[in-house]
Amino acid sequence: MPAEPLPQFLSSIKLKYVKLGYQYLANHMLTFLLIPVMVAAFLEAAKIGPDELVSLWRSLGINAIHALCTVLLVVVVATAYFMSRPRPVYLVDYACFQPARNCRVPFATFFEHARLMPFFDEKSVRFQVRILERSGLGEETCLPPANHYIPPCPSMEASRAEAQLVIFSAIDDLIAKTGLKPKDIDILVVNCSLFSPTPSLSAMIVNKYKLRSNIMSFNLSGMGCSAGLISVDLARDLLQAHPNSYALVVSTEIITPNYYAGNERSMLLPNCLFRMGAAAVLLSNRRRERARAKYRLLHVVRTHKGADDRAYLCVYEEEDGDGNSGIRLSKDLMAIADEALRSNITTVGPLVLPVTEQLRFLASLVARRLLGSRGWKPYIPDFKRAFEHFCIHAGGRAVIDELQLNLRLSAAHVEASRMALHRFGNTSSSSLWYELGYIEAKGRMRRGDRVWMIGFGSGFKCNSAVWRCLRTVATPVDGPWSDCIHRYPVHIPEVVKLL
Amino acid sequence: MDLLWTISTALLLCSLLSILWKESDRRRNRNCYLLDFVCYKPSDDRKLSTELCSDIIARNKRLSVPDYKFLLKVVVNSGISEETYGPRSIIEGREECPTHDDCVDEVDDCMYRTLDQLFLRTGVSPIDVDVLVVNVSMFAPSPSLTSRIVNRYSMREDVKTFSLAGMGCSASPIAIDLVNNIFKTRKRTLAVVVTSESIAPNWYCGTDKSMMLGNCLFRSGGCSFMLTNDPSLRHRAKMSLKCLVRAHIGADDDAYSCAIQKEDDEGRVGFHLSKSLPKAAVRAFAENLQRLAPKVLPVGELALYAVRGLRHRLWRSKEAKTDAATAARVNFKSGVDHFCLHTGGAAVIDAVGRALGLAKYDVEPARMTLHRWGNTSASSLWYVLGYMEAKKRLRRKDRVLMLSFGAGFKCNSCLWEVLRDLNDGGAWEDCIRAYPPQTLVNPFMEKFRWVKEA
Repeated sequence: MPAEPLPQFLSSIKLKYVKLGYQYLANHMLTFLLIPVMVAAFLEAAKIGPDELVSLWRSLGINAIHALCTVLLVVVVATAYFMSRPRPVYLVDYACFQPARNCRVPFATFFEHARLMPFFDEKSVRFQVRILERSGLGEETCLPPANHYIPPCPSMEASRAEAQLVIFSAIDDLIAKTGLKPKDIDILVVNCSLFSPTPSLSAMIVNKYKLRSNIMSFNLSGMGCSAGLISVDLARDLLQAHPNSYALVVSTEIITPNYYAGNERSMLLPNCLFRMGAAAVLLSNRRRERARAKYRLLHVVRTHKGADDRAYLCVYEEEDGDGNSGIRLSKDLMAIADEALRSNITTVGPLVLPVTEQLRFLASLVARRLLGSRGWKPYIPDFKRAFEHFCIHAGGRAVIDELQLNLRLSAAHVEASRMALHRFGNTSSSSLWYELGYIEAKGRMRRGDRVWMIGFGSGFKCNSAVWRCLRTVATPVDGPWSDCIHRYPVHIPEVVKLL
Repeated sequence: MDLLWTISTALLLCSLLSILWKESDRRRNRNCYLLDFVCYKPSDDRKLSTELCSDIIARNKRLSVPDYKFLLKVVVNSGISEETYGPRSIIEGREECPTHDDCVDEVDDCMYRTLDQLFLRTGVSPIDVDVLVVNVSMFAPSPSLTSRIVNRYSMREDVKTFSLAGMGCSASPIAIDLVNNIFKTRKRTLAVVVTSESIAPNWYCGTDKSMMLGNCLFRSGGCSFMLTNDPSLRHRAKMSLKCLVRAHIGADDDAYSCAIQKEDDEGRVGFHLSKSLPKAAVRAFAENLQRLAPKVLPVGELALYAVRGLRHRLWRSKEAKTDAATAARVNFKSGVDHFCLHTGGAAVIDAVGRALGLAKYDVEPARMTLHRWGNTSASSLWYVLGYMEAKKRLRRKDRVLMLSFGAGFKCNSCLWEVLRDLNDGGAWEDCIRAYPPQTLVNPFMEKFRWVKEA
């Protein structure tokens, strides 16, 4: 092995694996030292018979004080050890908003409304319908009441009304499920990307539910479709710092103020894909919640590709030539999502993959470095060996297809994502919770199963969270899937012809 | 057996020591140090004189003459000087229809100028930033403002970004709270916080009086500051955070709706400030002080307060006093040396000063900040701090209390301890010698005397 390439290689993988190995050794140094000692003692004891052991014990001359001191020391050490461990974060339960039937937007309604809008030209209408036909959305997705008007009336009052409808419904359901008392909530994190009134949505929740005055509330905005996991990350950090607390995380996207009323194609896509939705999640680090908690949060990994201009510009809010505000999606979106996912995987991989997969991944990295990228294809680890369930952000059919290909997943693994997209549309940051709800409603969530949630969003970010199921979730499950789960899964054709 | 005994005891003691060491290490990393802060100084072509304000207000043809007089009166009596800054789009006449680019440019200018200086002064490279928090209450584009910064400075992929919005004028302590909590769980972390406000997209062009005050009082401003919990950087840090208290009285409907962004009767969006705002502020203030006092005041003062309270309750002397008045009986100056009060307006500063029993010297930094910079929303506390530093008031071991109010309704406060004698001029560099001025009266008072008589 030539000496020259080695330093480059070391710096390029940032010593990640070497560091991990060293850390593991250092953290468990005492265990490694203790094991041989215990083994030796056990072997010695095994050689001697029980009578001899008893006489040996007596001969030691340990009096009560010695014994007491030893026991005390052991107890102190054990207590200190347990208290110094990081607190586990449990997901007690969660609830998703179930839209009313009168908010439904079947394809025909969408087409009719688009045709009647005074600002769309013929081409734009056809374009939107074509997108919808190939989108993977079904006939039951919902838009807020304000968007049913022709033209829509995106006032602040209507936006607040939508926010109150979706958020309060989700929280009410969560309170009913968990018996949570609003006064017990210590931490409140709300994320809504495209609507941030003052006072914030978190203040709106504090007002409605009369939360305590010393609540730690945070309102995140503008952070895109992956913001749900950012909120969970923040709640986790806060729960680490505050013992015996409850954290309420609310993820939503408010559609009302964001209807694009122009004819720029790259900005029409959100009109077709975004739908109404919200999720309220109760997290806690109280040990007594472990008995009824559904999941335990194992890891949250955030990756931000904003340093790369292409990634930063691929989902961008701006005004078109006529001054209409909208979100432009670039054609590079899939490729950028792919790169972001790969970056995220390099961090998630070592945390969750079995050792054999990690070694194969490392070997492939090394080989690529030494033999050149052309000589060796990148090895994507087999994540099916690390997770039983996958919740991939239902950003659109293309995103799910892309991830299924890249992660080598079967149709069954991405079924939850596809069906959530079909039934609810792209509900932005709350989509992951609808997908989790699907898996539970289908009775597939068993104790010990691991779930990988992957979210993508503007910036460009790829965030993922790893959960472990703590108790088998029994069906039937209350929630937005309760009235339609029996019809799923459905076959989603490539194109649903309307025109 | 003796050997076994010795080894096992030694191992137990080692493990105990290692746990204690980890615990002490964790405690050492719990401190939150302020490395540096940089206040935003916009370019001089953005200065808003009273004349210019008057012209801008007059552009709104929907206003009646009494309304125009009312607004001008507010401007003239506000205690704001001729040197404050406004957004370019408003000065250039686009206040009613700002473009998305106008809004973005306004915030970008603030963020990038202050961050460039912050990185230069601290010698920290953007690639070393672990946590980035931005709070701008009334503007949240996609991608977020944090993503704009990550892109511009090519920050790392694993940087933790948080974009806070809608949290009002008291958002600075909220951002500090967020960072402080992250510091408790991670070692040797470096955080950058940018706080500002967006005025361009929020100009109110209707005729509702309760919504027009924002137009007159808010001015452009912002601040970027760097926090860390790395003990090895302590010698370079300016201040250390001692405690932080957040009080949210949004549970009360009046408090929640006293400062709210909404549409007027004609459908125009504006920031409504209701008449019950002072009452909500007092309640939030009392709520905050109740929790702050035990953490900030020396035991002697707390004991005195308890004795007074007990006496009052036992003998029911006088009629019921409000909480704010009771607070006046607590001498906050026994535990705090300097007060950074939110520059919400001259009335707010005076009221808070009275409630805390402060002298003219104590409220001077806030009054001067209001005069020089106007109400810059969440970043106002930092301009006040900058004034104290420029005046060389901040000495080692001094304690500084930051107190702010905001929509929600919230009252947030945090106490800092100064780690070394501070004497940077910062944004006040070129004008500190002129402060305090002889008079705070508006120079155009003569010209606009008819306003006072109206």
